[in-house]
This record gives sequence, structure tokens and C-alpha cells, in this order.
Amino acid sequence: MADLSLNLCGVQMKNPIIAASGTFGFGREYDELYDISALGGISVKGLCLGGRMGNPPSRLTETPSGMLNCVGLQNPGIESFIENDLPWLLSKDVAVIANFFGTSIENYCQAAEAFANTGVHMLEMNISCPNVHDGGVAFGVKPESVYEITKAVKAHSRQPLIVKLTPNVSDITENALAAQEAGADAISLINTLTGIAVDVHKRRMILANNTGGLSGPAVRPVALRMVWQCAKKVSIPIIGLGGIETGEDAAAFMLCGAQAVQVGTANFTDPFACPRIARELGEYCDAQKIGNPQEIVGTLKSY
Amino acid sequence: MKDIDAKVLSSDVLAEGLIRIILHAPEIACEAKPGQFIHMLVPDNAHVLRRPISLMAMDAAAGTLTLAIQPKGRGTQMICSLKEGDTVKCLGPLGAGFDGKGAQTIYFVGGGVGVAPICGAMDGFATESSCAFFGFRTKNHVYGMTQAPCRVVAVSDDGSIGERALVTKPLLEAIEQKRPDLIMACGPTPMLAAVQKIANDMDIPCQLSLEERMGCGIGACLGCNVKINLPDGTWTYKRVCKDGPVFDSKEVAFGG
Ligand SMILES: Cc1cc2nc3c(=O)[nH]c(=O)nc-3n(C[C@H](O)[C@H](O)[C@H](O)COP(=O)(O)OP(=O)(O)OC[C@H]3O[C@@H](n4cnc5c(N)ncnc54)[C@H](O)[C@@H]3O)c2cc1C
Ligand SMILES: Cc1cc2nc3c(=O)[nH]c(=O)nc-3n(C[C@H](O)[C@H](O)[C@H](O)COP(=O)(O)O)c2cc1C
Ligand code: FES
Repeated sequence: MADLSLNLCGVQMKNPIIAASGTFGFGREYDELYDISALGGISVKGLCLGGRMGNPPSRLTETPSGMLNCVGLQNPGIESFIENDLPWLLSKDVAVIANFFGTSIENYCQAAEAFANTGVHMLEMNISCPNVHDGGVAFGVKPESVYEITKAVKAHSRQPLIVKLTPNVSDITENALAAQEAGADAISLINTLTGIAVDVHKRRMILANNTGGLSGPAVRPVALRMVWQCAKKVSIPIIGLGGIETGEDAAAFMLCGAQAVQVGTANFTDPFACPRIARELGEYCDAQKIGNPQEIVGTLKSY
Repeated sequence: MKDIDAKVLSSDVLAEGLIRIILHAPEIACEAKPGQFIHMLVPDNAHVLRRPISLMAMDAAAGTLTLAIQPKGRGTQMICSLKEGDTVKCLGPLGAGFDGKGAQTIYFVGGGVGVAPICGAMDGFATESSCAFFGFRTKNHVYGMTQAPCRVVAVSDDGSIGERALVTKPLLEAIEQKRPDLIMACGPTPMLAAVQKIANDMDIPCQLSLEERMGCGIGACLGCNVKINLPDGTWTYKRVCKDGPVFDSKEVAFGG
């Protein structure tokens, strides 16, 4: 049986399967189905200081081989998370990744600092949020802006900082490089692709927010391409995600250059997706006679 | 809560545009309560989201669940094409269902496909003085009347069964005769909003079963949230899949 363990930015994990932010809450609900200690890590629901109400319903809809969501980053706040959910999460044998966001660079820095004396293992910075000081363009769109926010937040981070990149950009590798140059310890990609869904009978938008984020197997080829391109440019670890449904999908991301992967939408299709994918990745390694999947990271043969 | 391969014991036409499926799902049936639902995987591996479907009846001893499903879009059409002997992945039982609260007289209100969970509630909570009010489009859409454990009054959109009226008409008449201790309702939003108004105006305890699009179905993704009024005049979002689908009528804020 293959050894799936890895060391990601100094954090030891039993396998490279991480539950993706926003699809797994703080782990409690899925723990009613299986012991979430089976996972390498959990990226918790995106958090901000003071919490956020989120968008009105409807917040999601299915699309061909995928889904759109506009939950709108509803969360109880970093303070509430640290007090009410983190102690329970830390009692589990799983790496806790605090996914967070803010409204300004200062607010992002304060958010990162709020995790300083907690047991959180890593921070994952979601920079797909609009920057009100830049006409609402997301912090993660322009490479200069990615550099600026990463540099500032890194100085306020006690834990390894993962920068989660948005795919809604012209050249994601520039942003990956900007994050690396600014001191990011790792990058994760991809966040959701912006889309809309139309109800032709009512002649109106389906989502109350009009636009939503596309996820699920429909985005997998795009996500794979972006991970492959970024892996050729950066030397910091990459966490790959976007439409992973099986152990072989996870292996594909690792071949493209991801050291670890995250699983989001697949949890909805199959609530046991994360532990199943970990098991299937082990089976893939055994069949391929690989001792540890880290051996195949970035070894994809291309033409 | 279990995720199991449920076996289809039978599938037949319950009424016009409505398929009845009986599942062998003992692990779910033994825990299930009226008003709860299951999250069904569309049996073609092409749909990433499951479909929430209410329990019309549950039999812990036989290990069966009865569903009434309206083939609406692709997903429910695929589920309705399941045949005897097929299996389908079901996660459940899910959500917080109806609560009889020891009420002596309960008025049940169901509209269309919403009659299905009300049948489950009647099996669980109906008393001799209880009464149900069902609204159907036409007589061809009627179901859930034959084995009802209490009196049922049906109305229809075209008068082909019962009065040509909205279900709130006989409900109001019955309330004038005898005020119930509790109302339980499920159906289209305009119907629920009308029942809510009656119950809240008359200060009758009332439980409404809501629908919203769902992702995880277990309370993790916050995809199914609806607006809920709090006693202090403020509001919050609650999850239809976990905090509901059944909510107190005083809490529900229809129209966003
Ligand atoms: C708690 C609950 C219990 C339900 N019980 C029943 C039942 O017993 N019988 C029955 O026939 N129907 C029931 N429904 C409605 C049923 O879930 C939808 O009709 C079904 O999901 C539509 O899927 P589709 O693929 O046919 O339609 P599509 O329109 O193709 O679906 C597209 C997406 O929207 C979602 N969606 C569309 N309409 C609804 C809706 N009304 N509610 C929730 N999600 C929706 C689908 O799940 C899917 O993700 C219930 C809904 C909820 C929330
Ligand atoms: C319902 C839902 C909520 C999400 N919320 C967040 C979030 O709070 N923060 C974040 O960084 N990403 C969020 N995401 C994006 C996912 O973490 C992930 O990047 C994306 O869904 C692609 O992966 P997948 O195809 O495996 O789902 C959310 C996705 C979904 C479907
Ligand atoms: S569907 Fe995920 S929280 Fe309700």
C-alpha cells in the first residue's frame, strides 16, 4: 500500500487530499458521516473579521457537469470560528487551513493576524474579492495587486500563507509569480470561474446575485491547464483543485505539478468523496508501482 | 443519517404528472420522521447535485420509504425512470421535520406535490379531530386521499373535485368552526404565504415546509439558506436542509 503522506510547507499531512473551502463548512456535518481525520487537511469556509451575511437565495444551481454558486462568503466571523469551531477541529487529526478574506489590504492583514495565536496550521488567502479602492476589481486580478496584498499579508502571518488564485484573469502565471515573489509559501488554484444561468421561461437570472462561480468537473480541464502552466513558472508548492471527483483526477493534478489537491463540489455528489479519493489515489499508486504520489508531481510528459 | 444504495421495490403512476416510488432503505426508514427528506443522486452520473425529495411515507418495520415525484427537469425525469430492481444512492433522513407538539387538533394543508410530505405528517400526528385540506389542479391530479387517517377536504383549480377554490377557503371555514392547536403545511410558495398569513393573524401555531435549491443537503455549504425573522425584529439566514425544511410560520420571511 502506497504511502500518501507529505510535508506541505512544514506541515505534516497523512495524504494530499484537502476539503475545499466553502463546500465542507467547518467539518462538523461531514464528521457525522465519517471521521474527518481521514483527510490530509480541511480548508474551512471562507472567514472574515466580524462575519458576513452572504447573498439572498437562490444561491446555487446546477449547470452541465458543474454548478454555479453565489453563497456570497456567508460566515460567522473569525472570532466566532476561533471560539466555537476551532477547538473541535483541532481535536481531529487533520491539518486545519483557515481560508480568509477581507475588504481592504489592512483588513486582510488584520484577519491574518487574528489567527496568530491559534492552532491553525496554515492560512489560505482568498483574493477573489472586490477591492473597493480599485473600482471593485478583485484583489487577485492584476499581478501588481496580487504582489501588494501578498507582501502585506505575509508580514502579518504567523502560519504558512497559501494564496488562492482566481482563474478570471488573462494570464494566471503572472499572478502565480507575483504571489511567489511577494513571499507566498504556496499557491492554490483554481477558485471558481464567473458565470451566469438564465431562466428562459421567466426571462430572468436564476441566481439572486445574477453572477455566480462555476465549479465541478466542467472546470477541470481549465484548472489542469492552469496548474500545469503555473508549475512551469513557480517553485513554491501548488495545491490544485477544480472538478476533482476521483483518485485519478487527483493524480492528473499531481502529474501537472500539484503537491496536494482540494475537493469541493464532489462532496455534494458523493458525501464520501474525500476519503474515497484518498483511497483511490492509493490504489492508483499501487497499480502504477509508485511508493508515494509525491514522486509523480510535475512529471507529466507533454508533446 | 446514512448514504445507501436504496433498491427500487416499485414505481408507478400515482396521479397525473406524479410518480410513486417505493424504496427498500431500511437504514434510513428506521430513523426517518415526518417532514424529513432524502437527497437522491440522479442515476446517470451526469449530475453533480443531488435532488431533495420528501418522504411521503416511511415504514421502519418493512424498511421502506414512499416517495411522490414530479418529473420536472432532467434530474427528476431520470429518477422517475427508475424501474423495479434498480438501485439509487440516497442520503438521509435529512432535516428537521414536523413536530406534533402533542397537539389535539391539527389542520394539515397540502398543495400539489406538497401533499406528499403532508401525508407523512398525517400518518405521524393526525388525531380524530384533525382535518386535512388538499389543493389539486384537477381530479386527475388527486392522490393521498384514500388511506388518510383523518378527514380530508379536497379542492381543485377547475372544480373537477371538490370546490373550485384555493385550499385556504375550506381551511378558513374550518378554523371558524373549530380553531386548531396547530397547522402543518407544504405546497407552492403563494399557498404557504396565504396559510402563513392566516395562522399568524389568528395566532395559531403553524409549521411550513419550505423548498430551496440545495448543494450538500447536510448543512455544510450554506447554499440553501432562506431569510428567517428573529423575535427581536432582526433577521438571519437559516439552512433549509438542516434547520428546516420545516420552519415556524412566524419565522418565515417570504419574498426575500
Ligand atoms: C426539502 C424538499 C423536498 C422536496 N420534495 C419533493 C417531493 O417529494 N417530490 C417532488 O417531486 N419534488 C420535491 N422537491 C422539489 C424537487 O427537489 C425539485 O423539483 C427537483 O430538485 C428539480 O430537479 P430537476 O432536475 O427535475 O429540475 P431542474 O430544474 O433541471 O434542476 C436544476 C437544479 O435546480 C434544483 N431545483 C429546481 N427546482 C427545485 C425546487 N423546487 N426545490 C429544490 N431544488 C430545485 C435542482 O435540484 C437542480 O439542482 C423537494 C424540494 C425540497 C427542497
Ligand atoms: C458552494 C461553494 C462555496 C464556496 N466558498 C468558497 C469560499 O468561501 N472561499 C474560497 O476560497 N472558495 C470557495 N469556493 C470555491 C472552492 O473552494 C473551489 O475553489 C471551487 O469550487 C473549485 O473546486 P471544485 O470544482 O472541486 O468545487 C466555494 C465553492 C462552492 C461550490
Ligand atoms: S444544501 Fe448545503 S447547507 Fe443546505
